Amino acid sequence: MPDKSLSKVAAVVGVGHTDYRGDWTRTRAGEKPRDSVGYAADAFKAALADAGLKASDIDGLIVGNTTPYERMGEVLGIDAKWGGQGDAMLNVIQACMAINAGLCENVALVYGNNQRSGGTNYGGDNAAGGGAFLSYVYHAPWGFTSQGALYAMMFRRYMEESGLTSAELGEVAVAQRIHASLTPHALMQKRITVEDYLASNFVCEPLHLYDYCLINDGGVAIIISAADRAKSIRPDPVLIHGVGRHDLNRGATSLEPRLTNYYLPAQQAVAEQVFNMAGVGPQDMDCLQVYDSFSCHIPLALEGYGYCKVGEAGKFMREHGISLEKGLPVNTAGGHLSESYMQGWAHQVEAVRQVRGTCGARQVPDCRFVHYSSDVAGKAVSIIYGR
Amino acid sequence: MGISKIVMALDDQPMWASINRHALELQKCTECGAFRYPPAPVCPNDLNDKADWVPVTGRGEIISWVVFHKKYFDDHAPLYNSTAVRLDEGPIIVTQLRGEEPGGSWIGQRVELVYAEHAGRSQHFAHWLKSEAA
Repeated sequence: MPDKSLSKVAAVVGVGHTDYRGDWTRTRAGEKPRDSVGYAADAFKAALADAGLKASDIDGLIVGNTTPYERMGEVLGIDAKWGGQGDAMLNVIQACMAINAGLCENVALVYGNNQRSGGTNYGGDNAAGGGAFLSYVYHAPWGFTSQGALYAMMFRRYMEESGLTSAELGEVAVAQRIHASLTPHALMQKRITVEDYLASNFVCEPLHLYDYCLINDGGVAIIISAADRAKSIRPDPVLIHGVGRHDLNRGATSLEPRLTNYYLPAQQAVAEQVFNMAGVGPQDMDCLQVYDSFSCHIPLALEGYGYCKVGEAGKFMREHGISLEKGLPVNTAGGHLSESYMQGWAHQVEAVRQVRGTCGARQVPDCRFVHYSSDVAGKAVSIIYGR
Repeated sequence: MGISKIVMALDDQPMWASINRHALELQKCTECGAFRYPPAPVCPNDLNDKADWVPVTGRGEIISWVVFHKKYFDDHAPLYNSTAVRLDEGPIIVTQLRGEEPGGSWIGQRVELVYAEHAGRSQHFAHWLKSEAA
């Protein structure tokens, strides 16, 4: 019996984000426009305006991992009835749970990150996240550091096993640049070719520079309300039709679940959960938003969720296509590689805008359902947004 | 930039002491016999907290590898590799292949752990067992 408990109990009524391009220019010139709390506050104001709500309407507050909870509530003047902290996707699920339990009605999810101007290191002798993920720091004595290297190690083996070529992996960076070129707020709008990709430097071989996410400052906010009241807030709320999560923690530091099956069992378990809850399948999805700290997340998600057969993602990307110009559009605003690295938060915003139909030149025609997927260090999560 | 650091939690200390003796030892559960890595207070199979520190053969098979082109540490100058090896005892460890490298894919190649001083400490590294080439 499929679990329907969190299907359509909540809807997104407001989204907002900071000026990624403006802050990119300013931070690259050495300025510090905001700290993390400041970016989050700017995004919150934008999301409130988008929803047509007042700050006093918000009775739940869930913040991102780079944003301190108590200080955020203090800055925004919110004494919440429910609060929490986590990553973008788990916060969306937590908001659904809190609303379903009757703990609150209008939840603000806010995130700010000054990772560029603050000089966050994702590798080296003080790698970010090492406190939470031992694999990020444990193998440093052998020079093995950075999340990119963890995915490079995983994807090298996948490429050898499946036969996926570097040129096929390059389809991800190329497609997402097409999308970013149609997205006014995206950071990297110049289109590239597979030849450009192959000619780019390796960071950690087999991954090239274009396989890596950007590192930029910014903030995102999302307002989620009880579904039965959402229509009174705005005429086009975006319903959360399904959510799912499955973790692979056993052997995490020794890289067992990465290197033996590329997190596939986690994604397959989530696929069953989320599609059952939503009552739709991969064939019903009009586009995909995939957490892409590195390009290789995309082929693995395509296989894990049944968009193509296991072992055939390379062929799928090359022949069927993953862009707005051909095939199944993935990361329609450019994703972490080309839009903005908001650690999954901007992907939720793009999913909402696609369902609303407000994406302009990059709009997927008649977009009814959007599937968001992430696999970050063995935590596979999915959310299905729809009308 | 800085020198790469060892993570030295309580349970790691006996392992690094064995590396200093140039003979890697890992915990072996007294109940189910499984080796565990990294060292941990209980066995994930049965939560048994009793384990013997047992020397491993030091032999295993490469299951993946990467080559760093970007510099992250003062004590690791690119180009250098990090290599994941499944020890014959079961666990996957990350080490670094030194000496002769296989042409083509390294996956499936047999290696043996060796020990050397690095950044003022003993570490294990791997040597390719060319005579057992896959």
